Amino acid sequence: MKLLSQTLLKIASVKLAALAVLLMLGATATALAQDPRIQTSQLDALAAKASETVDVNIDESLMALTTKFLSSKDEDEKKVKELVSGLKGIYVKSFEFESEGQYTDADLESIRSQLRNPAWSRIINARSKKDGSVEVYVMHTGGQISGLAVLATELKEITVINIVGPVDLEKLTQLEGEFGIPDLGLEGSKPKRKN
Amino acid sequence: MNSKQNSDADYLWDKTGEPDPEIQQLEEILGTLRYQPRPLEIPAGLHVGRERSFFRSYAAPLAIAATVAMLLLGLGLWLGLQRLQRSPQQIVKSPDTPQVQPVSSPDEKQNSAVAASTPAPEQKRIEESPRHRVNPSLLAQNSKRDRNTAVKDQQLTLKQQQEARAAKDQLMLALRVTSAKLNLAQKKAQSTNAPDLIHNQHKIG
Repeated sequence: MKLLSQTLLKIASVKLAALAVLLMLGATATALAQDPRIQTSQLDALAAKASETVDVNIDESLMALTTKFLSSKDEDEKKVKELVSGLKGIYVKSFEFESEGQYTDADLESIRSQLRNPAWSRIINARSKKDGSVEVYVMHTGGQISGLAVLATELKEITVINIVGPVDLEKLTQLEGEFGIPDLGLEGSKPKRKN
Repeated sequence: MNSKQNSDADYLWDKTGEPDPEIQQLEEILGTLRYQPRPLEIPAGLHVGRERSFFRSYAAPLAIAATVAMLLLGLGLWLGLQRLQRSPQQIVKSPDTPQVQPVSSPDEKQNSAVAASTPAPEQKRIEESPRHRVNPSLLAQNSKRDRNTAVKDQQLTLKQQQEARAAKDQLMLALRVTSAKLNLAQKKAQSTNAPDLIHNQHKIG
């Protein structure tokens, strides 16, 4: 009887350890699967072909530093500060080429494969053979947007945007043409603020 | 003959008859092998069964210890990550709070600006580490502080400011691009979803 109870205890202990390991692995895998940061380093090779390159990498520490240096007294900076406060990173990669056909779908596949993760939801998929396409993805965590990804392709341009953290899409869309951010002249953008 | 055989048989059976010399001889020879009751003596060097391994003997305590160790390791990693994520926000000071204005030569300023515009990852780590935090009030009051150390700290503050300004420009650029692309997506989505609505619109006035 004693031997039986000892054997059962051993089996239970080993199973408990295995369960703990599995739980930890599962938690790690879930955390990784729901990471709103997407890797864009695969696109770096396109920089050699591009005539203009924009590469912005603002991680959490740099974001905190920048946010602290945005003044709370200036109204415009205050708005930007409110918009970016809580964000954990902004990453933008944009390549503009002299001619068409400088990039292929294979270049974008590495980005799209990450965005196929069920944690990401595509909210806009606007495709046009003439003008290219724009895809907007968001990641929700606890009923709140925890990440944003934009993949915009044109014949001579490719842009990948990744924002990590709670994003206010409405405020972000209204930003163009406001205070320090000039209107890039894209049709369909919001009307300019009237003074 | 029969009586002799019977007497022999009796002796052979229960030792009551006339003893037979041959049987007696056999008794003497086989008597040495007779059962003699004595306690069982097990040799000290004798090992019964297989020797149990350490892990087999202590499987349960080891499993529990491994579980606890892994949980502690996970907790430690999580706390470490939390601490790392929190520390940079505590280092940086708000522009609204008074800052120490460094007194440096134009060359130093230029060098600082160049360094700040292209911050190296290693340099950034050094600046953000808790060992290099600058306390302006302490700098102003502690007269015994080494002058070289104070100058170095002031340069670090300037570098941080330059780095923050460069990051601010980058942030505005990123927001500009993001806003433009979101507007483009919105416009394209609207034109795709409601083409008739747009085509049927008439200019008023």
